[in-house]
Amino acid sequence: MVNITLKNISKSFKEQVALKNISLEIKDKEYFIILGPTGSGKTTLVKVIAGLVKPDSGEVLFDNKDMTNKPPLERNLGFMFENYALFPHMTIYNNIAYSARVHARDPEITHNIVEQMLLMTLLTGRNDALPEEMSGGMKQRVALCRALMNLEQTKLLILDEPLKALDAGLRMSLRRDLLQMAKSKLLELSVIHITNEENEAMMVADRIAVINHGKLIQVGTPYEIYYQPKTLFVANFMSEINYFEGIGRKNKELSWDIHKKSNQGDIFFEKIHKESIPLPIEIEENITFVSCVQKELYNSITEKDKILLVIRANHMKIRLGNRIDEKHNAITGKISRRKFMGVFYRFEVIINFNDKEKVIIVTIPATSEIHDTFLEDLNVTIYFPKELGIVFMHPGKDEIDKVLRLE
Amino acid sequence: MISIPTIDLKNITKTFEEGYVLAVDDISLKIDDGDYVFLLGPSGCGKTTTLRIIAGLETPTHGEVFIDGKNIKGIPPEDRDMGFIFQHFEIFEHMTVWKNVTFGLEMRGYNEDYILEKAEKTLKLVGLLEYADNYPSIFGDPGLQKLGIARAIAIGAKILIMDEPLGSLDPKVSKVFRHEFRNLIKDLGLTAIQVTHNQEQAMAVADKIIVMRAGKILQMGTPYDLYEDPESIFVANFLGETNFLQGFVLKLLENEEMKVWLRLGGPQIICNNLNKKFKLDNNVIIGLRFEDLYIFPKDYPFDSSFYDWSNLQFFQAKLDSSRFIGATKRFYLSLDNGDKFLVVKPGNFEENFIQGDNLIIGIHKDDIHIFEAPKDLLHEISLT
Repeated sequence: MVNITLKNISKSFKEQVALKNISLEIKDKEYFIILGPTGSGKTTLVKVIAGLVKPDSGEVLFDNKDMTNKPPLERNLGFMFENYALFPHMTIYNNIAYSARVHARDPEITHNIVEQMLLMTLLTGRNDALPEEMSGGMKQRVALCRALMNLEQTKLLILDEPLKALDAGLRMSLRRDLLQMAKSKLLELSVIHITNEENEAMMVADRIAVINHGKLIQVGTPYEIYYQPKTLFVANFMSEINYFEGIGRKNKELSWDIHKKSNQGDIFFEKIHKESIPLPIEIEENITFVSCVQKELYNSITEKDKILLVIRANHMKIRLGNRIDEKHNAITGKISRRKFMGVFYRFEVIINFNDKEKVIIVTIPATSEIHDTFLEDLNVTIYFPKELGIVFMHPGKDEIDKVLRLE
Repeated sequence: MISIPTIDLKNITKTFEEGYVLAVDDISLKIDDGDYVFLLGPSGCGKTTTLRIIAGLETPTHGEVFIDGKNIKGIPPEDRDMGFIFQHFEIFEHMTVWKNVTFGLEMRGYNEDYILEKAEKTLKLVGLLEYADNYPSIFGDPGLQKLGIARAIAIGAKILIMDEPLGSLDPKVSKVFRHEFRNLIKDLGLTAIQVTHNQEQAMAVADKIIVMRAGKILQMGTPYDLYEDPESIFVANFLGETNFLQGFVLKLLENEEMKVWLRLGGPQIICNNLNKKFKLDNNVIIGLRFEDLYIFPKDYPFDSSFYDWSNLQFFQAKLDSSRFIGATKRFYLSLDNGDKFLVVKPGNFEENFIQGDNLIIGIHKDDIHIFEAPKDLLHEISLT
């Protein structure tokens, strides 16, 4: 069993700040993802946990025991970093089974686990190959298997971008299996897994920590991160988004009852916004949208504050023609581009409010109806349910640009 | 009028090491003017060699390359009206943005007025004119790639040759920039050929995709065509996510249909049998796209439903687990015969399922992809 606590961890390399005052708890048997763009401090953070980097300040606790100054060996963890370090003279099978043998594990259980891992990583039948006969992707898979085997006592596994060098397709299928593996009764692992891909994070995580520029921005379940992002950075990192700038008008009268529940998916929306209040947001003089806002934020918004309304591309809906009278939070526009992307269609819709043009991205599940009828240059109405709006205090134009450019 | 394809490869073969390594195996393909085409396949499939042959960086062992109808044998790369954009940009870092664009024009001996006009126009087109006096070091990778395009089109390139141009970008940046990149190439009217092993990228950006494996072309067409009508298990698996279930032909039916019984007493499913391709007792593989499957609770009121589900066929499955991953939700299910499969629904799909529930799965006959059973299914669905 291992519960990990980080208290106020900071680390700089010369002038460069890598980690700024990070506090975090990782629970026993949790699959924990650290998500952030390249250079955000992810690797430094796990190296601090593993004891490979000593923090300038702060504490690392394993089960409430101070490990800050303990060497890596005493922390009993398995890790897989980006260089694979396979034994060149050993076959795939032996590379993977090595640590279990050293630790005199039951040979039959060892064999079963190795076989299961070979199957999962599509290496079955290659048992006898040597590392020099393998492609980079294969070596990575062997290293992953070996790291998974390399666990005694603590049952903590650290994976630093374990799927990075693999072809996209294989990455998809490995993600499908990774969580299942970690949760299997045979292993009962705690896993800390670093990635810069939001899909990978969502696919396997129990909880996700989003970090950027060495700072911890948000920790939460995939659900919370997706529907209640704390900042524009988190919102944007998890999917394509659209945003509008506006002013909250709490007392604005609308032609529709904003307190009425949307008729579709009530249970679902209730879960997202348990304690939220619908807020009319004036985007332009004659355009007001409504979005649900968390109570706390709602209370702090005044008519002096500029706010930002964010809607994920896949939460926008689209209908042919002018349907503005039938839909709330609706605006008309024209499809300027469309692209089939497999599961989804992606549309760029040009809307025109008060002579300002703006491109709105809409992604919707691909069906043959969409394929046949939603063509470029057609006029459409786009709209969104108020429950799926995400509202922030306006962070300033420069900050928005920076976030959208991922700087 | 018969239009001449911009690029036309006829029976191209390329071997290395005196014929011992067959990189490209007798392929033919045509690329039309203004198309953005992806060569897609796993490492070692021959896609990069094919790209290099088009670019003139390799000479084919056999076969011919035509560009705008002209056999270009012996014409060096720099005279082929092509621009090259690679992952490791060949931008001149010691020259300003302006100089990067004018350099190629000067080398070709154009007069000053022409160069001035051309460079200004080009930089404006790619949206970099305001950075003309800066050095390229101010750009991130997306800016550098735009500069690469500017340099190529300034000297009159009508064809862009690209090898994983977004490969070095952070995945999130690449996911955003790729649409802008595509829009720019389309707006400039360029023909573009790009190599990638990233199928998601190819689906998101390409007009046409050429899927290669082991030196051969498996299938080419629009992303929609390949996705909707994959001709092989490999393509069905490589583009998108597909469940493959094994079975055999139990009964031939009228109207080019047949009944397939999934292995070990699994469900019986009616499939198309176009041109009566399959015979009684044939072993087959059924391909079901994750998102093509419908999912209902066991007590779903089909009779009183607002929707008409009469064109679906149904079978039962047990829910092993489910996962919310944002834009979609994934359901992991198993059949009585032990076979496992996945269903994907939109992220806000309303359900109250719990682990172990027996669910009803629906599928439309036309959404079933059916293939001959290969000798080795694992080999066919391995992504190499």
